[in-house]
Amino acid sequence: MPSTDTATDGRTPAAKISMKCSARSVLVAAIGILIPSFLEAQQDTVREGWRMVPMDPNMPMMPGLEGAVPGVSAFLPGLGINFATIAEARPSELVTLADGDTLDITVSLVRRELQGHETVMFGYNGQYPGPMLQVPEDATVVVRVANQIEMPTTIHWHGIRLENQFDGVPGITQAAIQSGDSFTYEVYVPDAGLFWYHPHVREDVQQDLGLFGNMVVTPSEADYYGPASREVAFVLDDILMDDSGVLPWGETAPTHALMGRFGNVMMVNGETDHTLTAQTGEVIRFLMTNVANSRTFNVTFGGAPVKLLASDVGRFEREQWIESVVIGPAERYVVDVLFDQPGNFVIANTIQAVNHFRGEFYPRVDTLSVVTITDERAPSVASERFQTLRTHQTVVDEINQFRPHFGRTPDYDLETTVRVQGLNPSIVLTMEADTLFVPPMEWNDAMPMANWLSTGEQVTWILRDRRTGAENQEINWQFDQGDLVKFRIFNTPESFHPMNHPIHIHGQRFLVIALDGVQSQNLVWKDTAIVPVGSMMDVLVEMSNPGRWMLHCHIAEHLHTGMSLNFTVAEASP
Amino acid sequence: MLFILAAAALFSSAEIGGSNPTSNIGLTNCVAGGPAYYRFRLFTTRNVPGTGLATGSAEVSVIEGSPFSVSLSSDGSYVYDLQISLERMRIPAQGHLVAWVTTPEIDHIQRIGAFDADLTLVAPVAWNKFIVVITLEPINDPTATTWTGPIAFRGMSRSGLMHTMAGHGVFDQENCAIYGYGN
Repeated sequence: MPSTDTATDGRTPAAKISMKCSARSVLVAAIGILIPSFLEAQQDTVREGWRMVPMDPNMPMMPGLEGAVPGVSAFLPGLGINFATIAEARPSELVTLADGDTLDITVSLVRRELQGHETVMFGYNGQYPGPMLQVPEDATVVVRVANQIEMPTTIHWHGIRLENQFDGVPGITQAAIQSGDSFTYEVYVPDAGLFWYHPHVREDVQQDLGLFGNMVVTPSEADYYGPASREVAFVLDDILMDDSGVLPWGETAPTHALMGRFGNVMMVNGETDHTLTAQTGEVIRFLMTNVANSRTFNVTFGGAPVKLLASDVGRFEREQWIESVVIGPAERYVVDVLFDQPGNFVIANTIQAVNHFRGEFYPRVDTLSVVTITDERAPSVASERFQTLRTHQTVVDEINQFRPHFGRTPDYDLETTVRVQGLNPSIVLTMEADTLFVPPMEWNDAMPMANWLSTGEQVTWILRDRRTGAENQEINWQFDQGDLVKFRIFNTPESFHPMNHPIHIHGQRFLVIALDGVQSQNLVWKDTAIVPVGSMMDVLVEMSNPGRWMLHCHIAEHLHTGMSLNFTVAEASP
Repeated sequence: MLFILAAAALFSSAEIGGSNPTSNIGLTNCVAGGPAYYRFRLFTTRNVPGTGLATGSAEVSVIEGSPFSVSLSSDGSYVYDLQISLERMRIPAQGHLVAWVTTPEIDHIQRIGAFDADLTLVAPVAWNKFIVVITLEPINDPTATTWTGPIAFRGMSRSGLMHTMAGHGVFDQENCAIYGYGN
């Protein structure tokens, strides 16, 4: 449905209000009258089970938000079930599968201890994260999924160009697996690389509760990444907790609809106190996946040298030295890190957070893992090879075939924006004023209360076809197998709440060829890429895989508040 | 009172959103889409001959060669290519126009370079909130740590618009002096 929000003078109602309310005395008077009546209406929707979201003690609460709760009911899994009857989650186990093998995955409740709290969560095969699947390139494996949780679910095989009917998108490629039912996936893996699997039903809840796992597709090419002393899965996540445990989720619609649900407890591989021990001179290969609902991490390695090797669907053209890894939700990166000195190295999320109340950036460093390097010296093969940056000519040659299309006019122009209705007026007014400046990235939840109170019933995130005006599920582009399609995705800084969006394209692979007109210098095949606020990203998509697919923002709350579209790739004639 | 009632009706039912060019209150002349969003103006001080009518602008863009959608320094600050251009001015007969960046508190200063004859300059900066200062220096010294000549232009990054709400927010309930800010 086309937008109905545009007034004839191009200003929204809220903007008009804000401009008329320039005198503070008028504003305060208006809020004093508006908020009590709004809260009175909102009290009707209060449900048992909400606890106030943790706040930064240095940030005062906005007037009018005292006692407010989201206008949807609260959800926690396993309520009323005796904890002792729920199996304790085990760490992720490696499962090596050959072409044609079958794996059974059960989706069930698991019990975990997080920050001293017994917590009921979800798990794949009782593990947290789910089993690490290792599959050879070009294989097909069968995965039978049995759903034993109280919600419908599916499994989406993220980044894998598999057959469309097994993509795991409810309503598009399959019906959701109801509680007690099962579904069999045939997962064909044409590309080597680091992939992952997760539900495509209420990801904001199910993924946050632990439903995710990696699939490593081992390359047929020898020495694909070069030598390393060891490979380590490094699954980045966060979870929102208070003194009583995890905060509930919205039952019928997501909370945190504006910025997505940021956690305040960091986790690596599901652990809140992740550590590693290695010898001096070890090159540790980190297989990094961001499974957080909304948080983009900037991962630093305590000053150790870091070499970037690969991302979502394969290797970069050239290995490259980097200082940190910027990894958005659903992205993957493979890096080698040389620890050449004994001691402790802190792997951290190192950001400049925003304090809206003080109007300033401030440094924030959250420890993700501590690597202890012993005095013992590791064999030197990996550390010697580490010093060399390789160029992968096969990758360069393959991408060169696509270069003639880089400069052409985009085939489609997409715009990301947001529409809100019925938000607490205190939130509306504050955010209208706050958008004087919007940073390119939202590294932290700087408005936890306002964000928590915004639900999927009030917020609609939008992907808009700028040429037709069609939005979200109104869009169903048609392509032919073999088409190369150039999308331009513009993250407008002029919406009610601009925010970075990790855009994911199902079933295909793409190249980020330019950002704000600056050409990419070192290309890699991607399935997810961050579009910062105000930026214009050009991507070239290889429509290689027939079927009906989805393109969406991978902030879970944005996906489930509208931000997805469909496209169909018609199979080429034989 | 009529306004308040009207506002109440709008709050309870109105949709807000889509692209909203005037949501940046009071800055409609600065609002821009795309890469230009973070552009900011440089203002002449008129302290240097030939700059009385001059204008300037600074634009930030992604660093070429970054494998990520944003480039960050080791402390998480954004790393940009800062592109500065000056117009409608005469090049001073003596001295060198030099650009600097400094914090709003002016407690750290970094020289980013001297202007070419075409009055443009491109240099990387790794600061989130900063003031650009352009001075007329007697000598072009790449090792200088602070300016010595008169300030010709200055301007603040767009992030400078992110101002404290303490005592200055829409609710006006706090005295910002208690948080270390003057009124």
